[in-house]
Amino acid sequence: MSPSLVFKVARREYLARVRSRAFVLMTVLVPAFLGMYMLAVPLLGRSSSKELRIAVLDAGTGLGAAVGERLRAIERPHITVTETSSIEAVDAARAPFNTAIRDRTLDGYLIFERADAAPVRARYFAREAGNQVLMRELRLAVQSAAIGRLLAGTGVDAADLRRAQQLDLGVVTVSDRGEREGGFGIALASTMSLAMLLYIAVLINGQGMATAIVEEKSSRLIEVILGAVTAGEFMAGKIIGVVGSGMTQLAIWMLVAIVALVQAAPAIAMGTASGFDLSAVLNARLLFYFAIFFSLGYVLYSILFAVVAVTCTSTEELGQSMMAAILPMVAALMVAVSVLSNPATTLTRVLSLFPLFTPLVMLARVNILMPPLWEVWLGIALLIAASAASGWVAAKIFRYALLMTGKRPTLPELIRVVKA
Amino acid sequence: MTTPALLCHQLIKTFDGTRALDGLDLSVEPGTIFGLLGPNGSGKTTTIRTSLGIYKPDGGSVQLLGSPDPLAVRRQTGYLPEERGLYARMKLHEQLAFLASIRGLSAAESARRASAWLDRVGLGARAESLTRELSKGNQQKVQFAAAVIHDPALVVLDEPFSGLDPINSRLLKDLILEQRAKGTTVILSTHRMEEVEALCESICLVYHGRAVLSGRLSDIKARYGRNTIAVEHGGGPGVLNQIRGVQACDDGGREVRLRLEPDADPRTVMRAVLDRVDVSSMRLDEPRIEDIYLETVGAAEPRP
Repeated sequence: MSPSLVFKVARREYLARVRSRAFVLMTVLVPAFLGMYMLAVPLLGRSSSKELRIAVLDAGTGLGAAVGERLRAIERPHITVTETSSIEAVDAARAPFNTAIRDRTLDGYLIFERADAAPVRARYFAREAGNQVLMRELRLAVQSAAIGRLLAGTGVDAADLRRAQQLDLGVVTVSDRGEREGGFGIALASTMSLAMLLYIAVLINGQGMATAIVEEKSSRLIEVILGAVTAGEFMAGKIIGVVGSGMTQLAIWMLVAIVALVQAAPAIAMGTASGFDLSAVLNARLLFYFAIFFSLGYVLYSILFAVVAVTCTSTEELGQSMMAAILPMVAALMVAVSVLSNPATTLTRVLSLFPLFTPLVMLARVNILMPPLWEVWLGIALLIAASAASGWVAAKIFRYALLMTGKRPTLPELIRVVKA
Repeated sequence: MTTPALLCHQLIKTFDGTRALDGLDLSVEPGTIFGLLGPNGSGKTTTIRTSLGIYKPDGGSVQLLGSPDPLAVRRQTGYLPEERGLYARMKLHEQLAFLASIRGLSAAESARRASAWLDRVGLGARAESLTRELSKGNQQKVQFAAAVIHDPALVVLDEPFSGLDPINSRLLKDLILEQRAKGTTVILSTHRMEEVEALCESICLVYHGRAVLSGRLSDIKARYGRNTIAVEHGGGPGVLNQIRGVQACDDGGREVRLRLEPDADPRTVMRAVLDRVDVSSMRLDEPRIEDIYLETVGAAEPRP
């Protein structure tokens, strides 16, 4: 095998990938999108500056005033409360409020329907009913009003009660390697983001290479190329080229991440004060393992894509067969998600050592609950071994299938070729 | 005697139980233009691929440029496949330079030759165009350049004239002759008999995986003798068919060609022709390649 020929094939493939519109677009868009996503998830609902206009309708329960007072005390989002006390027929009274919501002069209204017996029954009507932060505030307000009424006359001050209700529940993840602020919620965001990065990079570049291989086969360009390089050199060049393009993408993304980390240092300090720890999302250890798993996973999947491509004779066939290469990645993504809720079960541990899953699943584990180091490195070793083995198998299939046109090699044929 | 540029001996190649090559013999003198003829599916492309080492023969041997292993000398060969073998989304100059470089040329030399060849085929101004933006004929010219850019000792051209207009056909013909003048051996696989007639010194007619006719064109023609009468009379074969001594009658449109029986006297036949139709021109001719082709292959092929 001539290294200079491999390099020439790799260089062409690399340039073809890197110059493709999909590559440029994704390299720019993905970090922008993920950056927004990663920052948006923890901050969502936190900094809504919009003023909320809420009406409180009290169907004779006497809680309305207290709830209104409690809600007014919330600073962000600022809430304007209109109290309408002592309505008789709840359903009849609702009509004008619904009209107000439709006219957008009101954001929502709260009705107490039963307050004499515990539990209090209240209903919230709104155009945007999905705001979890607001729901939490409403629940808290009604609860404090109810408790306040219960404690009325016992000498407990309403302000004291409010202070007592202020809870600072921090989550700290404890693993073999120590403690870490923040629960799985933030890890979910970052794991999903990293998994998506790997998925997108493999998909874009792998598919690009696969299409190129099929194009070379169907246009008979391969016969010209094989007049100069061997099938093995050709395959090696293809894979190195596409891995190179993936690494370029990775390098750009890592650079962006590092710049973001450095630039965001003051924000992290501020964020920590407000309970949001950016370092849980982006930190050096995570980036280190991400680079390793990204690179190795990328190599393995590139080989898989190349093998699938070489057995196809047309782009139509490729479209159908691509599923075979994409499916394990989708499965890995699903397993990686399930790891979030079961980071330390035996099944998770076993699945994270399966090479096609390792890049995403082990990365998820590292991110959520650091596994023992030997497990991580065993996963890495298995991944390398699997890549080497599939490269060897791929070379045999390439030699056999590269010049086949018109008909596809069958699976038994391929098995025979690999065994030979 | 010089070593043949390509020597195939009893080549056998089987695909799924079908013999594509069935004991094919072939010898190409170096520095000549060699025509590889035969009907579709007769085994021409398989012959080419096996000769270049793209396929391994199931039997027999190939000797390419004196080497028993075609792959060992692959950098000294060029190949223009029948299908358009270029990257659709690659710029012309870059593409030619790439194909030159994998044949072992330096980057600088590859770039220089790519420019020179684009100028030579009249596409210098489109060096930065993508292949797919080019017409079929222009792509064909680029592909020809790609096949010879590394100055191979032997170049195989599979249907190089397809898709070319008369001007570009002329250009390609000149380029092929230029290659031969440089001492390059050219193997031309084509269905265009007039190009074979104009260019080839030797031919091989492949049929059902065997060489059914091969040798120098002049020798082959001499073997057939001047056994054809070409008649222009403004009509079809009609009654000419029935003239004694006429073995076969080929309606060429403007011209009807009568092939004579081996022992027929041309003058008697010509007189008989004059008796039957109003002749505007008539001559005694040697058979064209097309006639020989049709006779050799047509005898075995079912007539429409």
